[in-house]
Amino acid sequence: MTELLTRLSRYNQLMLAGINETLYMVGFSLLIAVIIGLPLGFLTAITRKGHIMENTPVHKVLDLVINIGRSVPFIILMVAVIPLTRVIVGTSIGTTAAIVPLALAAIPFVGRIVDNALQEVSPGVIEAAQAMGATPLQIVFKVLFSESLPAIILGITLTAINLIGYSAMAGAIGGGGLGDIAIRYGYQRFKVGIMIETVIILVILVQLVQWLGNLLAKRFDHR
Amino acid sequence: MIEIKNLVKKYKTRQEEITALNNINLKINEGEIFGIIGPSGAGKSTLIRTVNLLEKPSSGEILINGENITSLAPDLLRKRRQKIGMIFQHFNLLNSRTVRGNVSFPLEIAGVAKAEREKRVDRLIELVGLADRADHYPAQLSGGQKQRVGIARALANEPELLLSDEATSSLDPESTGSILELLARIRDEMKLTILLITHEMEVIKQVCDRVAVMEKGRIIEEGKVIDLFANPRQSLTRRFIKSIIDFNFPEELFKDHNGGELIRVSFLGKSTHQPLISSLVKTFELDANILYGKIDDIQGIPFGTLILELEGEYNQVLKGINYLKGKGLTVEVLSDDGALDQAVQV
Ligand SMILES: Nc1ncnc2c1ncn2[C@@H]1O[C@H](COP(=O)(O)OP(=O)(O)OP(=O)(O)O)[C@@H](O)[C@H]1O
Ligand SMILES: [Mg+2]
Repeated sequence: MTELLTRLSRYNQLMLAGINETLYMVGFSLLIAVIIGLPLGFLTAITRKGHIMENTPVHKVLDLVINIGRSVPFIILMVAVIPLTRVIVGTSIGTTAAIVPLALAAIPFVGRIVDNALQEVSPGVIEAAQAMGATPLQIVFKVLFSESLPAIILGITLTAINLIGYSAMAGAIGGGGLGDIAIRYGYQRFKVGIMIETVIILVILVQLVQWLGNLLAKRFDHR
Repeated sequence: MIEIKNLVKKYKTRQEEITALNNINLKINEGEIFGIIGPSGAGKSTLIRTVNLLEKPSSGEILINGENITSLAPDLLRKRRQKIGMIFQHFNLLNSRTVRGNVSFPLEIAGVAKAEREKRVDRLIELVGLADRADHYPAQLSGGQKQRVGIARALANEPELLLSDEATSSLDPESTGSILELLARIRDEMKLTILLITHEMEVIKQVCDRVAVMEKGRIIEEGKVIDLFANPRQSLTRRFIKSIIDFNFPEELFKDHNGGELIRVSFLGKSTHQPLISSLVKTFELDANILYGKIDDIQGIPFGTLILELEGEYNQVLKGINYLKGKGLTVEVLSDDGALDQAVQV
């Protein structure tokens, strides 16, 4: 056992770099997904029939965009957006390049999660705000956002965890990160120890993210 | 204060068109507590929600202090709504905010400066008796306390009108009582006009000055609460009154009477003090046997019910009944088991 650990410790540098790359890919793609997905989800929700800015054509288009985005398998998306990635990043390999498909996959996911979270806000509370003379913008920020914040946080947590999984896949096409290590060393060079170590690290990472998300959501949940 | 003219509201669903409000005309005076009562589906909620235009009327006018609000532009309507408070059956508080935050909310919407806001919030929380709960979240409050927050919130922008949509319907009788007391108190202190809807006659009895009875989208009866109790004209109104004034008498009453005519006499206010029974006995040579009697109190005015057994010549009994009616009493003839006798029409 100790022998195994000493042998593995030779790869500590490699592992640390892998963790770093994974966090970099997940962090940035999550950030972009939230920046775009959050407004997307809000717009989808408030344009729904009976909501504060009912607009059926807009709602239908956004809903369709989210559905299509969600139905493309990540592995296909990854390959399909290579030309786009080249335009944006200048190359289609490396961790930065992996951020493009990761963010693209996560945007509709966040959109749907936010849309769902907003539908859970009691119509009565929205109506109370309208009865007080609140503008749609005030309702968005002071009612919808604050009331659904715990659910949105949990949804973003879920997105982050999915991204960790996807980022390992992105590693397979030269994206770097822990997935890349697992494949290059564990699979191609039969170093099972390294393979197991990356899996353990990924499990711990997921646990940590979930724990953090729960903690944060609880902090804002007063129901 | 409020004048509703020829108000019609139709809902179009895929299958049919529902007329929720069918030509409503109503005047509500400044400073009064006006109640609207009706069974489920009568259109009460629809009516109250048109008063702040949460529901857009199909036709008709709503004038508040002479201003027709149905034609206001959106931003003017929002300004107008700030002066119309509303409370709800399910409170509709923000779960993410404390009591203080909830009461502060309408002030933030109206753009009141922070210092002024805090002063007013403290005063309002004090007013509704929640000073010791100011930093609690709604989830930590009882139903009655939540409605107090709702009331404080509705009063924050110093409205001239308060709309109450079944505000006590999900509360226990005790909390209902204290919320109604609070409403009456703020009406007096703030010279507020209150329009409330309910399906409980008890609420009407406790706080309303005037009442309208609604059925199937129409107002079928309207008047001062006390007049309605004394003299209900519609059978629905009578049913509502019966729901809170106990007309059911112990069955044993009817077991061993002497075979005379059973009548139920109801009287309101003054007649209580007249020696009617003794005149009845003397004038018509009847024996009047009091089987049961009780007096309820409606807004401080006694409302009495007596069950009498009248013995004597049948003609004289009928004359006696007419005599009581002539004195402004409500008289109903009962069959031997105490049920209303439909056969005997006096
Ligand atoms: N949005 C709507 N779409 C279609 N029909 C509606 C809508 N809102 C209300 N109605 C119908 O209008 C009628 C009146 O409803 P309303 O809610 O005003 O009744 P209510 O007197 O408040 O009843 P309750 O005591 O049950 O609350 C009902 O027949 C109801 O089904
Ligand atoms: Mg209703």
